[in-house]
Amino acid sequence: MAIRTTATHDLGTPGELPPEGVARARNRSPWLDFHVGTALVGAVAGFVIGHYIGVLIAGHDINVDNNGQNNVAICLSLGFGYLGWMAGIGGWNYPLAKMIGREPVGELPSSHWSRYFKYTLDHKVVGLQYVIGVLLFLFTGGLLAMGIRTELLNPVHHIIGPDRYIELVSEHGTVMMMMATSIVIGPLGNWLTPLMIGSRRMAFPRIEAFSFWTFIGGYMIILTAMPFGGFPTGWTGYAPLQTQASGGMDSYLCGFAVIGLGMITAGFNIAATVIHYRAPGMTWSRIPILTWSLLSTTSLLMFATPVLVMAGLFGILDRTALTAFYVNEHGGSSFLWEDLFWFFGHPEVYIMALPGFGIVGEMLPVFTRKPLFAYRVGAAGMIGVALLSFFVWQHHLFDSGINPDMRPLFMLTTELISIPTGFIYLVGMGTLWRSKIRFEVPMLFALALYFNFLIGGITGVYLSDVPVDVTVHGSFFVLAHFHYTIMGGLVFAFFGGIYYWWPKMTGKMLNKTLAKLHFWIMFIFFNFTFFPLLIVGLLGQPRRVFEYAHNLQGLNDFSSVSAYILGSSFLIFVWNFVWSTWINPVPAPANPWGSRGLEWQTPTPVPYWNFERIPVILSDPYRYGEPDPPPVADLGVPIGAAAAAQSFAAEVQLGLDEPGGSFRG
Amino acid sequence: MADEIPAADTRALGPVRLMETQEELAYELRAAEGAVFTGGRFLVGIGAFTFASLAFAYFYLRTSNNLGLWRPHHATAPTNYGAAVFAIVLADAMLTIIGAVRLRRGMVLDWQVAWWTAVGGNLLAIALQILILTRLGFDSGSSGYASCYIGWAVLNILLMLTTFYWLEVLLARAMRISRAVAEDGGPSQSRLPAARMFRASLDSATYFVVFGALIELLFWLLFYVL
Repeated sequence: MAIRTTATHDLGTPGELPPEGVARARNRSPWLDFHVGTALVGAVAGFVIGHYIGVLIAGHDINVDNNGQNNVAICLSLGFGYLGWMAGIGGWNYPLAKMIGREPVGELPSSHWSRYFKYTLDHKVVGLQYVIGVLLFLFTGGLLAMGIRTELLNPVHHIIGPDRYIELVSEHGTVMMMMATSIVIGPLGNWLTPLMIGSRRMAFPRIEAFSFWTFIGGYMIILTAMPFGGFPTGWTGYAPLQTQASGGMDSYLCGFAVIGLGMITAGFNIAATVIHYRAPGMTWSRIPILTWSLLSTTSLLMFATPVLVMAGLFGILDRTALTAFYVNEHGGSSFLWEDLFWFFGHPEVYIMALPGFGIVGEMLPVFTRKPLFAYRVGAAGMIGVALLSFFVWQHHLFDSGINPDMRPLFMLTTELISIPTGFIYLVGMGTLWRSKIRFEVPMLFALALYFNFLIGGITGVYLSDVPVDVTVHGSFFVLAHFHYTIMGGLVFAFFGGIYYWWPKMTGKMLNKTLAKLHFWIMFIFFNFTFFPLLIVGLLGQPRRVFEYAHNLQGLNDFSSVSAYILGSSFLIFVWNFVWSTWINPVPAPANPWGSRGLEWQTPTPVPYWNFERIPVILSDPYRYGEPDPPPVADLGVPIGAAAAAQSFAAEVQLGLDEPGGSFRG
Repeated sequence: MADEIPAADTRALGPVRLMETQEELAYELRAAEGAVFTGGRFLVGIGAFTFASLAFAYFYLRTSNNLGLWRPHHATAPTNYGAAVFAIVLADAMLTIIGAVRLRRGMVLDWQVAWWTAVGGNLLAIALQILILTRLGFDSGSSGYASCYIGWAVLNILLMLTTFYWLEVLLARAMRISRAVAEDGGPSQSRLPAARMFRASLDSATYFVVFGALIELLFWLLFYVL
């Protein structure tokens, strides 16, 4: 028996005509298509071509002759390498095909595992690709952190040495910050958003895929920093050191620009999806709190990140076209970098914090069987944080040349932001109040977030005050503070989210014993690693310096050993991940946590189209504890049930019966 | 013509036979139109923050005037060429708006002529902007102004390339769908999904071109007039 099908069965943009070459695509092996292997070939080819052009352009420039470093060649090789990478994965096929009015080859639903290595339109595949992508970032940054802590085992005897140490610190910080911007919005944002709002698809699935492969492109670019000599600036890339640094600085600037592009596109797609693809009945007061947090975050991604990309572009121009944006001696200003960087950099803190609170906001009602306390206040708090985050960046310049008269203003705005942040925190506390908590693994991570963030948040309030900030600026106190908020908040939330949604994503349960072991080691040794650093910071140990006072060795050694054990906890996670997913998979129950969330109402594994019928949302997902709560959604009745009864269920075969009447390609 | 797929494959592919009601089709089409509409506005927002960064750099360095090197001897990029680029982009924006209005009234040919002219104008403006870079009369790192100007030139080329791409894609799109939607009123009137999505994109593109013209005006004032 044969059935009729067309490339309408993919997730392309609605309104496209039937794509060409579908039959050809269907019949060939999955590996004879664009995939990560061809992308790597493209990246290498682009890198070589870019380098060659760079040598042609600037190989005989006097500056290159003098210092033996051709920044033009490095930047062009990285830029062309990225273009080649995207060409190799098939990222340019669609935009180029559109230029000649043609539709691209459609994507067929596929269960072949090769789809995880391709440019795909399925948001669930992209979400899982992101899981692996962010773990790659996380473990790379983690290994670099082990190097840092190893060097700090002894205040005077050195294992790594000062130059390599600062390179490790810089690379670690940059990789981790890049990872942290996407750790939730990438994997969980892409995987969950359509399911949570009752949509069959993303608004711009090709842009979604573009964001992921750009993210990986950025990863490879930042990794080239070490062979190019590293960069000595830390993750903040301050000028004038930036202008003077070796070729690794080009990787930093290009890497951040590329990652920025990925962040903007990821935010763009998710925001448009939430705004327009909500199912009927999914009013603004019914969308899940995670979706609110993601929407707030996307506004920051879209509007703060362009500033980072521009700051990077100016830096690249300084190093290649010899402009002087950040060169004081030629009419530029190194403070310009600080302003532009932190205009992005501080909202970035909330790009990292808000999704974490969204995740735990989803978990708390499930594991306490209580409605989410003050849902609207939580949503308003997230919007408030997102808005206020644009007005606080100057507090990073309290100690580096800001007009003293401006300090009180930015101290005030920074303190103000603790109010909506407090709202969000209190939503969690209110939900926990007098509840009977089920201490499942995801809940443990959620509770850990509140514990860690309390320390990170309170130290942050202190740091917003000018006198404290000036005193501890550049010390380990600041470092410990932001590790408590980012790692203690976001990374714990991420792992909680993975444990919580993994059964839905894969249909397999992660091993509970290993998960608890992972949690307790991670939680205890996270605090053992970073709490001593608050103390050594107050005692005066500066960041990014490879030596320190003898009397601080005990605390530093305690922190280093704890860091090793903290690092080993991730090995338990990896083992659990591999063991439970591939080696000894245990099928997950349909709804293992008893959640009312819409995403849990779909079959597992989730069908290609998510919902057989577009659901009609009947109530919010947090009505736990009610004796007879209404269902969250009607999953079986099409929109306008009465009208639909008179209409016919049409197979989507656009462009077949009605030329030009195609709906998707 | 429909392609065929053996039934055995469909099991492996999952629910490839999606059954959608007319209401669902209409609902998703409205969502898609809205996403294109909103996406266009987001793009303007992203562009605004991008160019705001350059404007910030301009005013920051101008105010700082480090070592008196904001703009020594009032060095200016070639004003005639700069005015030409500005005039062309402005004319392109007007043509784009006029073309869109004409299209809405069903005058497809008028729209095509206006937009193809705008596309050509964009290419000319890009060429002129590149030409300016060869005739600056100052070194790229000689002053704050010089640096900002180089930054502007790069961004302006990217902006014009984006505009060029979007307009060209829509023109190609109109040619591609014209036969399919001809009997339903053509791209300007048809209620078929392909035509509706085309018009949504056209609306967003027009909006973006107007934004580009405003940016051009602002930076023309900053770099050539002030």
